[in-house]
Amino acid sequence: MKSLKYIWRNVMRNKLRSMLTILSIGFSLALMTILCGYIALQDVWGNEAQKYHRIVVMSTMGFSGEVPIAYVDRLRAMEGISAAVPYAWYGGMYKEQQMAFAQFGTDPNHVFNVWSEFKIDPAQLKAFQDDRQACIADRRLAERMQWKIGERIPLQGTFYTFNLDLKLVGLFDAPQNTDSLWFNWYYLDEGLRAKDEPLSGNSGTIFAKTKDANSMAVTCKAIDERFASSDHPTRTQTEAAFAQMFADMLGNLRLYIFVIGMAVVFALTLVAATAMAMSIRERTTEVAVLKAIGFSRWNVLLFVLGESCWITTLGGLMGIALGCAFLQGMHIVASQFVPVSVIDLAGVWLLLLLALAVVIGLVSGLVPAIRAAQFSVVDGLRRVI
Amino acid sequence: MAANQSDALVVVNNVTKEFRRDSFVIPVLLGINLQLARQDYLALMGPSGSGKSTLLNLIAGLDRPTSGEVIVCGTNLGVSSESKLARWRSQHIGFIFQLYNLIPVLTAYENVELPLTLTRLTRRQRDEHVRAALEVVGLSDRLDHYPRQLSGGQEQRVSIARAIATDPTLIVADEPTGDLDAKSGGEILELMRRLNEEFHKTIIMVTHDPNAASRAKRIVHLEKGVLVNTNATPVGATA
Repeated sequence: MKSLKYIWRNVMRNKLRSMLTILSIGFSLALMTILCGYIALQDVWGNEAQKYHRIVVMSTMGFSGEVPIAYVDRLRAMEGISAAVPYAWYGGMYKEQQMAFAQFGTDPNHVFNVWSEFKIDPAQLKAFQDDRQACIADRRLAERMQWKIGERIPLQGTFYTFNLDLKLVGLFDAPQNTDSLWFNWYYLDEGLRAKDEPLSGNSGTIFAKTKDANSMAVTCKAIDERFASSDHPTRTQTEAAFAQMFADMLGNLRLYIFVIGMAVVFALTLVAATAMAMSIRERTTEVAVLKAIGFSRWNVLLFVLGESCWITTLGGLMGIALGCAFLQGMHIVASQFVPVSVIDLAGVWLLLLLALAVVIGLVSGLVPAIRAAQFSVVDGLRRVI
Repeated sequence: MAANQSDALVVVNNVTKEFRRDSFVIPVLLGINLQLARQDYLALMGPSGSGKSTLLNLIAGLDRPTSGEVIVCGTNLGVSSESKLARWRSQHIGFIFQLYNLIPVLTAYENVELPLTLTRLTRRQRDEHVRAALEVVGLSDRLDHYPRQLSGGQEQRVSIARAIATDPTLIVADEPTGDLDAKSGGEILELMRRLNEEFHKTIIMVTHDPNAASRAKRIVHLEKGVLVNTNATPVGATA
């Protein structure tokens, strides 16, 4: 008989208590898996954005400021820039739904030079370029909204006073779900100019692609220096940094997750320690018998620690599996929120979560294990003899 | 049969044992002297609280005397460390408890195998030992039964098989028939007689039962921590 077998039998001795402990650890670690998965998602986005060496030009005033459209041509003329387009967030309502999906005004003639990894049928791209009111959408967005080519898509402005009446002429495929619709920036601008809106002639941001990844930092600096003395100074950063900026708007998310995680771990440790303490207390005589027939304090210590680690590791595995299943399910049914599969998100963090479950087992089992190892055999046996 | 100190398996020299409860000191054993030869079978009798189990614990290396010496198999138990005592017990002592104390999550086979996992025997050798021990106690057909699936008498027999599986030098039994009916108790006592006479095992048994004690070769009485009548010969004893 191996020790592991004995430890496993002890785990299964009180099935209800073990299952409840496993479930409490499992659900808590499932939550941790989802939170850590979100962080991993940010990293994946950051790494993905880094690959295509795009940079984002915005006003030094942030999202409340505007960048003149004339800057687009100036950027295109700069050394180190291979393409640039306006990228104006519209934020309109679709059929009474606010923020149903992302909508951006851009330049149909150059946008696929900036997002060169995106694919579109050439005929559909031409249709997008030829018609001012044309728009294209991410294929997965179109599937979600059940749009067909030729569909009229009216958007009611919330930030802009001009409403858009768009016609879907094409679908593009992106490596990850962007959940975005692109329309012609000039269509929006014409409408704004007709209303004599002060926002006309501007874009919220300009996206540009540098000729290589190494020149991104230098180019960002060069752009900001060039417009530093103008009426509209800019703040330029990489697309990865831009994405991170959104995450930072939620505060130091990683710190929050760490603090919440530690609180959960602490609570879990107490739960598991209570269960282990009860379990060992019920087996005082049995432990005394083990020691009487020759098992050492170390043997007893390892039996108890092994038992607590079994329970928490099972809980950890269950929690990680649940968390991953949730993330994968979100990827399948709502890929706009989780655009990559769990396989792409998986990393060392999953192993660290499993290690965390083992550590919870070790810490929670330590006090009962030491007590079991140290109590007197005679006192333990006195209960029956 | 008292032994000379030089060839005795168990030597208890002027042993006292006190327990402390808060500020109280409770004397339990008062200057005990006892020798036990190899292959002896000693019954230790006395009223509750007389110190029988305490003396048994000292001889089995589960506890240390307050003063005096307990030398078993040539080892002075009072000066050995906890870890050395644990190893020593696994090599020299077989325990039989009143309430059997089998591990409920292990089968009869696994319970008997448990002390053997502390030895360097191979799996095959362990298997031979376990089967032989269960054969001796007549439970070869109950290998895969859990304690809850056995009667009290059968549980005690598994407990005896566990005690003899490692071929210990000394078997200590604390009220081995105390929780059994007369028939099962008789079977256990007969088994212990066989262990002593056929397998030449040295046995110390604590009991309240005069009938059980009568099966031993020698009876000693403890009263209020003092040995009395150490040369009593059991009625009907064969040796």
